[in-house]
Amino acid sequence: MKAQILSALQMRRHGPVLTASRLLLVCYILVAIAAPLIAPQNPYDPLQVFGWEASSPPGTLGSGGYLYLLGTDGLGRDIASTILYGLRISLVVSIVSSALAALIGLTAGISAAYFGKWVDVVIMRLVDLQLSLPTILIALIAIVTLGPGIDRIILALVIVQWATYARIARSVGLSEVKKPYMDAARLMRLPISRILFRHLLPNSIAPAITLIPIEVGHAVALEATLSFLGLGVPIDKPSLGSAVANGFQYLLTGQYWISLFPGLALFGLIASINLVGEDVRRHLDPRNQTR
Amino acid sequence: MTVEHVHGPLQPTLSPSPLLPASPPLLRVENLGLGHVSRAGPTTILSDVSFDLGRGEILGIIGESGAGKSTVGNAILGLLSPEFQQTSGTISFDGKVFDAMTAGEREALRGKRISAIFQDHTASLDPLMSVGAQVEETCLALDPSLSKREARAGALDLLARVGIPEPERRYGNYPHQFSGGQRQRIVIAIALAGSPDIIIADEPTSALDATVQKQVLDLLRNLVDETGISVILVTHDMGVISEITDRVLVMRKGQVVETDDTEVILDQPRHDYTKKLLAAVPRLRIPAKVEKAEAKAGSSDDPGGFSATDNVERPLLVAEDISKEFMPQGLGLGFGLRLGRKRPSFGLRDVGIRLPRGTITGIVGESGSGKTTFGRILAGLDSAHAGRIVIGEQTFEAATSGRSSGLLGRVQMIFQDPSVSLNPRLTIGETLEESIRFGAGVGNKDRRVADSTGAMMDRLGLARSLLSRHPHQLSGGQKQRVCIARALLAKPEIIVADEPTSALDVSVQAEIVTLLKETIAERGMTMVFISHDLAIVQAMCNAVYIFRNGRVEDFGPSDFIFSRSDNAYTRTLIAARPQRFTC
Repeated sequence: MKAQILSALQMRRHGPVLTASRLLLVCYILVAIAAPLIAPQNPYDPLQVFGWEASSPPGTLGSGGYLYLLGTDGLGRDIASTILYGLRISLVVSIVSSALAALIGLTAGISAAYFGKWVDVVIMRLVDLQLSLPTILIALIAIVTLGPGIDRIILALVIVQWATYARIARSVGLSEVKKPYMDAARLMRLPISRILFRHLLPNSIAPAITLIPIEVGHAVALEATLSFLGLGVPIDKPSLGSAVANGFQYLLTGQYWISLFPGLALFGLIASINLVGEDVRRHLDPRNQTR
Repeated sequence: MTVEHVHGPLQPTLSPSPLLPASPPLLRVENLGLGHVSRAGPTTILSDVSFDLGRGEILGIIGESGAGKSTVGNAILGLLSPEFQQTSGTISFDGKVFDAMTAGEREALRGKRISAIFQDHTASLDPLMSVGAQVEETCLALDPSLSKREARAGALDLLARVGIPEPERRYGNYPHQFSGGQRQRIVIAIALAGSPDIIIADEPTSALDATVQKQVLDLLRNLVDETGISVILVTHDMGVISEITDRVLVMRKGQVVETDDTEVILDQPRHDYTKKLLAAVPRLRIPAKVEKAEAKAGSSDDPGGFSATDNVERPLLVAEDISKEFMPQGLGLGFGLRLGRKRPSFGLRDVGIRLPRGTITGIVGESGSGKTTFGRILAGLDSAHAGRIVIGEQTFEAATSGRSSGLLGRVQMIFQDPSVSLNPRLTIGETLEESIRFGAGVGNKDRRVADSTGAMMDRLGLARSLLSRHPHQLSGGQKQRVCIARALLAKPEIIVADEPTSALDVSVQAEIVTLLKETIAERGMTMVFISHDLAIVQAMCNAVYIFRNGRVEDFGPSDFIFSRSDNAYTRTLIAARPQRFTC
């Protein structure tokens, strides 16, 4: 029996856990894209929000003519709609920031590996500095100095994430730089940009690329944390994190739904991204590929 | 009566060892077949491999890469990974069939009765454990009844037997404190720890220099003669086979091509494949003495002046006083401060060569002689600490390397291992196109690029369809041809070839060497050919420099070097070659 449970929970390519998380992730993405169509209310539009219906419990029929399936928050916004719209922000922020961080980090990493000397020292000391400070602290400093806004959040997440990519790309790049095909490229007097982006980058990218799916999950969580602390997205455009934050002072008064449902949505999102991400990583990992 | 007659002639084949007709051979492999199951479907690895191994015998298994020779050894050791499946046949040891044994019984054989030596002596030893402790550990593991003191005594005895000098003193030393040859001796000591009946040696000397290889082979031969153990020697090198084996099994594509006594195989090979293998072995000719050259050649006051004609014509390249130091890494404190400052060791010391235009010059040396470093400095890939390189009218300071020196790009290189010399993400066509556009500076005229790559592919015997392939879809020989094409298409005056055939199978080596020699001559290019193999150098080169410990030990026209050089080191190198392939 134990063995059966274990095998059901194990991450396997066709296991039930993986299938479920794939389905869940696809649902999340579809729902996020279709949010304006399927959400009963646009929580960003003050005209559709009725302040007197604040903190209605789940299942209340609102005066807008729709059912508050998951209740409303302290400002009277429909929780279900807030989740749908918040999902959009969380996903866009995390995906864009991870992609940008990968781009910047990889370029920095292979440059450090190729040029060595001062370039390497400067880039890698920056990386060390970055990795030696707690992520949340860096993000906080970045947000405080840059000011709030979705683009600033993305910037802050990029600042937090690029160093990991840079470090991995450098370590792979260092071993690639020593290979004779790089010597041959130098002997051909290729332009440096060509050596970097046509020869070094494609051969150093694989281990770093496998990080991206995992880092997207981290970005979602980090964005939610920042929003929860009130430093993330603006108050009138709630992400999942700020939706949780909106309700946590009501938890003690029994209005559990304001925080609970966005929190569950967040949990499901991060869990499914991480599980699917791990699977994608395995697929991409060159060590797992058999020719 | 007629029945007797039928049985009579069959008798010899049933007992293959005529000396000991009564006892069964120590190891008998019969019709062994192995398959490999993968997602792509089952493939046959070995089919119908049969041989006997008697006591005190050295059996060589020779074949090219992929012949299945190592797999035979692993099958006997029981070290095959689970995807391999035995499809037919039996292996029996001392009359007992493996299949009939329990896993525990087979486990007990390994190490104690059958042990192994592998190629990579560095990977075979634990770098964090003293060598004495490693031998001792093995003694204890194979005989748990030993006391600590007995195990130590046994380990010391083993180290002495394999020729480690002063085993008492070196007992606590770590593997990196020994030379490659000594490390392989220690591995042999560990293999001997259980007094096995059979040692399976898989390419035991392939990672060693020629002079050291000979010593290790002699050690193996002596051990066999003294103790009567048997050895299965897996190798790709006919030279090794000719030196110490009694019998040979020639394998190809998982099948036994031919098996016989070593002398018979070497003298009268029957099978075409064996003949081809033998013909491919480069042979060193010791030319008859030529009196004329004697006066002019090899005086050290006149470096590089091999003959009168060379002195008249200006050499294309002159490298002078090239020195390179390697600074050992002490404990760094940052800011340039170091604890325990050590003296620099010299990678190269005052090395100079001259390359006459249109010639091939060989550089020969063992590992650590600085020959590869020197080649890279010539190509401008690495910097030296002192010295200069003159090409034609231009002088380059060897202390600067890379783009700033201006030297980079004047010399093209062909590297040792073709599997890492081509960018795995580019197609062959893309790689060659870069060579023409940037190396030769032709610019971006598509038709001319396509024409010249196509013509080059034809010249090197490569199908034009390979242009759209990626490197991993090509064989080793094809890849090396592409590397040659890349170097030639950049139209350099000078090409440095660094051991271009060492990573290839013997049968391919000869083709590559011939091709290289012809294409260089056709284009009037000048080549530096770096190698550890005297015979290939002799076949290729007009002149030879012999490197040793970062210095030029000996140099001269190749005929002179191989026939009459009185340099002791040169003579040692020549003597270390298998006698069989020196004529």
